[in-house]
Amino acid sequence: MDLSGDLGVYCGKLLADVGADVIKVEHPGGDAMRRTGPFVADAAPMENSLHWRHYNTNKRSITLNIETSAGTDLLGKLAATADVVLESFQPGYLSAKGLGYDHLSEANTGLVYASLTPFGQTGPYRDYKASDLVGFAMGGYMYVTGWPDTPPNKLWGLQAYQTTSNRAFIGILIALFHRLATGEGQYVDVSMQEAVATTTEHVNTTYNYTGESAIRCGFRHGGQFIATWQCKDGYVSITTNTAKAWDDLRAWMERDGMAGDLMDEQYNDRFILRGEHGAHIEELVEAWTLTHTRAEITEWGQANHHPWGPVTTADELLGMEQHWERGFYLVPPGEEELVYPGSPYKMSENGWRLNSLAPGIGQHNHQIFCEELGLSAEDLQALISDGVV
Amino acid sequence: MAETGALALQGIRVLDFTWIHAGPSATRILSDQGAQVIKVESNQALAVVGGPSSNTARGLGQRHNWNAGKRSISLNMKTDAGKNLARRLVAVSDVVAENFSGRVMPSWGLDYEGVRKIKPDIIMLSMSGFGRSGPWKDRVSYGQTLQAWSGFTNLTGFPDTRPSGPASAYSDAVGGMTGAQAVLLALIQRANTGLGQWIDVSQMEAMSTLLGPLALELSANKSNKTGVQRTGNRLSHGGGALHGAYRCQGNERWVAITVFTDEEWGSFVNAIGSPAWASEDRFATVDSREEHADDLDTLVESWTLNQSAEAAMQLLQTAGVAAGVVQTGEDMANNDPQLRERGTFQQVPDAAGVLRTIERAPYKLSRTPGSVTRGAPEFGADQDFVLSEILGLSDEELAEAAIAGAFD
Repeated sequence: MDLSGDLGVYCGKLLADVGADVIKVEHPGGDAMRRTGPFVADAAPMENSLHWRHYNTNKRSITLNIETSAGTDLLGKLAATADVVLESFQPGYLSAKGLGYDHLSEANTGLVYASLTPFGQTGPYRDYKASDLVGFAMGGYMYVTGWPDTPPNKLWGLQAYQTTSNRAFIGILIALFHRLATGEGQYVDVSMQEAVATTTEHVNTTYNYTGESAIRCGFRHGGQFIATWQCKDGYVSITTNTAKAWDDLRAWMERDGMAGDLMDEQYNDRFILRGEHGAHIEELVEAWTLTHTRAEITEWGQANHHPWGPVTTADELLGMEQHWERGFYLVPPGEEELVYPGSPYKMSENGWRLNSLAPGIGQHNHQIFCEELGLSAEDLQALISDGVV
Repeated sequence: MAETGALALQGIRVLDFTWIHAGPSATRILSDQGAQVIKVESNQALAVVGGPSSNTARGLGQRHNWNAGKRSISLNMKTDAGKNLARRLVAVSDVVAENFSGRVMPSWGLDYEGVRKIKPDIIMLSMSGFGRSGPWKDRVSYGQTLQAWSGFTNLTGFPDTRPSGPASAYSDAVGGMTGAQAVLLALIQRANTGLGQWIDVSQMEAMSTLLGPLALELSANKSNKTGVQRTGNRLSHGGGALHGAYRCQGNERWVAITVFTDEEWGSFVNAIGSPAWASEDRFATVDSREEHADDLDTLVESWTLNQSAEAAMQLLQTAGVAAGVVQTGEDMANNDPQLRERGTFQQVPDAAGVLRTIERAPYKLSRTPGSVTRGAPEFGADQDFVLSEILGLSDEELAEAAIAGAFD
């Protein structure tokens, strides 16, 4: 049962795409995400959101007004047969309706119930609100992203929400594994702030082990010689992760007559970009990268086993042959025009698949309420008339 | 019923050949839940982050953070004796994890075909930049390379500055989460079917997945050119104004604020004392606020500049507006009552008994919360435990292996 909003919708997709029968519970009239652009041109409003289509693959949809007592009653009945409940309401909201973990697990002891919220179910900020941006900020990732002379920056897309969903999926899988052995369900409490805070790589370890807060370094990674340079046709990422990579780079610049004084012994340390010579080296390296294309630098670097690569622009993404060759990009039947991203993992026995496209509003109302829950067609019609479904 | 505090992955053994961020962070997720993770390290291997000579303060931090709770042995995989011991460890393991370049495991006879001959129901996790098939399978990458190649770098930054990209190795963190998810899926499947399997994680694919509906957008409406560009702190799909980070009192202090609906706008305006500009027509609706977002940002900053970031957050949150300090490492470690209450950071003793700070799993499981009781192992610290207790090698066998160079 996926009762979640933007914070958990990706977690529901992760479950649905590996075969779980995920029922998306929408408010009558349709989930808010259906109004999120961009839109596909040849479809009706509420069915044309690409966000909706992407995040709800393989799910079934019912509509239910859980602000009504008939609605909460029906949801309770559905949850009694569920293996997992996924929700992202403010803490306490579902409990007040008798739909909290304590209520639902009484009869359904194997239930795994995951709550995804901005700050978790406990603590002084539990009732604070947060969007993706605010979660990203409070989790410490935003402060270090961007240039020293710009405001802190978010990542592209909804990375705080997706990180929360990724972390929640791990928690749910651990709970499901435990359930296989014991039959016991449990409650999973996931905080967006914590999910982001534990995904920052260097932010916490830098402070906790050096006493200094990491700062924004623009195109450099944590001040190391991992950087993005302007070149003839865009930008290229050059990482001098080994002494050989730095020496190879300097030698290539020298062959082009553009190394300046970089062959001097004082520049032998590949971490030198961190130090007082940083600006001087940057100037020389970029004057040189500007004389080459992304492909030249990438191919030569890769041929010498250095992790160098192009900064791909959005309009180039669908041309990536590796994604087509491995079957990562999918063009599902019935959706000839659209390219979907595929599985984040290739597993030899795992059935990740795109079986069905995102559902229409309440597309499975009859199937689920009548065929599976046993309501009569008249019962359903009455619920529809009353605005419950 | 198992008592609360049981370990969900107790009894699962992971033979962990991984190095650098993505691999060790995947196996730490398993270790936290009670899996016995045996790091196989080598004197012969390149010393890198997470490896034996991570002796800078930051390297030490990452070593403890990604390897807390694990065991370590040292094997020289260039020797037959070393490889033989590794094979014997495969035979008693549930999961083998690695993130080498594609040539390494086959050269030891330990690719999936090799390990399944030793243990038919083994689960093998292979993590790589581009996956182990396709025309790019032999390309090498670091986190930043994948962020650049996948499109994240170009899309992250303000429209009028060059791309900054993610500041840290997001793709490694993503690779770690993805790898752990796949192993958990495989463990569930093995419990149901008895079958092991091979997991081929391409960190590039994991990153591309997180571009969300971008591939759909690029292919929609019969146009492969959308001109999708960096949007700074605004949402690429619109909506939200204000939606940004605003400078506050003090040096490099910022508050992130987002307002989507008219109701939230009304709460925001009330909270900041209803300044005259807030009642201007151009800010009256969701659409008009978005249209005049740049002007709005400037006016909002004229208010935040006279507030501390903490006071602005509290004032706005009390009014029901999503706002938060753009927190630094220091803020999170020392000044955040929420993270403190939640126990986001934990101290564990290293081999010398020195307390080391590590991050805790960001999901709280009521029945199997997991547990970490010690920091990262010293290089090769568990030689005796692994070889004598787990493999049951006699002193004589140990001596033979040593003479044959297995531990050099």
